[in-house]
Amino acid sequence: MSNVFNWQLGREMEYPYEAAYPDQQFAFIFNTNRCIGCQTCTMACKSTWTFSKGQEYMWWNNVETKPYGGYPHHWDVKTLDLLEQANPGGQNWGGKPEDVKAPYGQFNGKTIFEAAKSFIGPEGANRALGYLPTDEEWSAPNRYEDHPVGNEKGVKGQYFQGGELLPEHKTWFFYLARICNHCSYPACLAACPRNAIYKRPEDGIVLIDQERCRGYRKCMEACPYKKTYYRGTTRTTEKCIGCFPRVEGRDQAGGGLPMQTRCMASCIGQIRLQGLIELNPDGTWKEARHNPLYYLIHVAKVALPLYPQFGTEPNGYYIPPRWVSRPYLRQMFGPGVDDAIEKYSAPDRELLAVLQLFGKDQRICHRYEIKEGPKVFETEVRGKKFVMYNDTIIGYAKDGTKIIETTVEEPLHVRDAKHANSI
Amino acid sequence: MQLRYDEDFIETAVFCRAHSPPPSGPPAGASPTNSCRPPALQIARFHREREKCYDLRDPDARHAAFFQVHLDWFREWRLEQPLTEVVEEFVLVRGRLTTLAVRKATGRHDEGAELYVNETGERTGLLALRPERLLHRVTVRDFLRHEFMHLHDMLDPAFGYAPALDLPGLNAAQKRLARERYRLLWDITIDGRLAAAGHTPAATREQHMLAFDRGYSFWPEARRGETLDSLWRCPAPRHTDLLALIADPRGLQDAARPAPGGSCPLCEFPTFHWAVAATLAPAMLRRILAAFPAWQPEQGLCSRCLETYEASAALELAAAQ
Repeated sequence: MSNVFNWQLGREMEYPYEAAYPDQQFAFIFNTNRCIGCQTCTMACKSTWTFSKGQEYMWWNNVETKPYGGYPHHWDVKTLDLLEQANPGGQNWGGKPEDVKAPYGQFNGKTIFEAAKSFIGPEGANRALGYLPTDEEWSAPNRYEDHPVGNEKGVKGQYFQGGELLPEHKTWFFYLARICNHCSYPACLAACPRNAIYKRPEDGIVLIDQERCRGYRKCMEACPYKKTYYRGTTRTTEKCIGCFPRVEGRDQAGGGLPMQTRCMASCIGQIRLQGLIELNPDGTWKEARHNPLYYLIHVAKVALPLYPQFGTEPNGYYIPPRWVSRPYLRQMFGPGVDDAIEKYSAPDRELLAVLQLFGKDQRICHRYEIKEGPKVFETEVRGKKFVMYNDTIIGYAKDGTKIIETTVEEPLHVRDAKHANSI
Repeated sequence: MQLRYDEDFIETAVFCRAHSPPPSGPPAGASPTNSCRPPALQIARFHREREKCYDLRDPDARHAAFFQVHLDWFREWRLEQPLTEVVEEFVLVRGRLTTLAVRKATGRHDEGAELYVNETGERTGLLALRPERLLHRVTVRDFLRHEFMHLHDMLDPAFGYAPALDLPGLNAAQKRLARERYRLLWDITIDGRLAAAGHTPAATREQHMLAFDRGYSFWPEARRGETLDSLWRCPAPRHTDLLALIADPRGLQDAARPAPGGSCPLCEFPTFHWAVAATLAPAMLRRILAAFPAWQPEQGLCSRCLETYEASAALELAAAQ
């Protein structure tokens, strides 16, 4: 085991390999407040990468209804439970949020790598704590769709009184879209006995070498997000490849510019934003104040990692749903949830403008700039003043090409009367 | 009788054995040692043998090699043992089946045994089983005995099994309900016989009693207890006896008048809300008779059907005005 620095935990942690970081890291943000669970992303991925024999059960991208849904069933509860068994009562956070090295304070519990040491099998200690899901758990990708949970017992024939009021709904569910997090410390990579899994040095995308893989399924056991899939026809394991040809700029539609993945580009709710992040030698993010991902994660801090306590440093971030029970969200996204929701509920001028970049163009935005516009609206959100300006936000690709220009107020197009009912 | 395995089934079974115990842990009653992993050297040897198969480029040869490796380890790790040993207990199954095929079940609800007979009269038993069950050698035997009893009954001329339930006069919903009742009663007789033979049944008499009470809640308690006892103790049940209990347990088919839970003669759905046909206006009766000429007002109709006719009459009236 080596000691590596995990900035999401605000501390060093044990990992089976020495730290090694790519030049840039593939990362993405999903705004759960906007997701309507339409599964367009799921089908975009399916029809691009997993439509062949043996891949039927593979959903590299899936959207599940939380709290009950999950693919495989209860993947998160099971891993949380294993961690709790390994470190009873000790899985908690402390310390104070600091700079980019500890934005959420410090995690005092055990990661899946640290907890694995206490699970000794016939081949010695495991490299990562996990379990192999059964076929039954892979049997239904959208089980519990739209199933809510309530914190009060219902009365027959009567609606909840005030159930719709924020800050927390009394009955709630939300959609959690998931892909491989292309973690900085991937558990799949750590567990592979064949060294078949690697992180690409150019963009940090995690791939499985199909020539090396011998179907041990250790990656399936170790990945806490359960995002690797065994294919019975080839007897190898497959996973999300981050649409790397697009990220490399090889999709003709991008005109040579790096493009976002298919699932990001197809999202009709415009909940997704994917980019590439430059890293410091210690794996923390190099300051890039006007990179939209850097801004949302490290400056505004509205986007949070999914289950950071697992310790893999996932590169998928989520703007948490603002109507959901806070203890649940703290468990899922860490201690930054309350501040993130507070900020998102009444966004400041810059945040509101940056949120307009989601889903506006398929190409990857590396930098944005804002041109100030007039004030158009003012109100109060739960005692906090909210002012809206019709600013214009402009996004640029890495080479400086302007790829997006949009305003906070979406333009209203009135259709000509003769086309009123045509599409 | 030939025992055949689905490739996917044995591959998953040996992988389950080589990996950690299942996350849910062994089921109640299972000895924890049953789900222990094999020694590390065996697991390493298993993987080495598997790895060699990847070098084969011809897909058919590769599949065959994988199948053989998995089958060898399936036997080496004695995963086949419960199947071969339990089937030995069922003389009729061994004697009358040409093949017993075992396939992977995708979940609990997919598990079970089925009998197939081809045009030449060859009988094949198909057992759907979750491979992880094999890790628990005690409970898998109980499960297998229960399923083989189903096959035994299907093959036993004295039981007189027929694949299609002969239940004239029932609509689709009633037939589905009848099938569920049949399954319940058959399971009771099977578990009763297993318990009498000193085996652990899939469900206890008390568990069956709960299910039986739900399925036959319209019977008086004494009758429910009496019937369950007779089923549980019956050493040689017959298909026709079970049919008699499921076809019309409320005795509604012979009822001359509308009875609670009986089927509406118009929509055929069971109803507890009958409309009083005698109070219907002549115009309404004419309207219903136009759609159902054979209907007689004494047969009644459900309030949902009446509502439909009232609505259509109101619509026509509104359109006319």
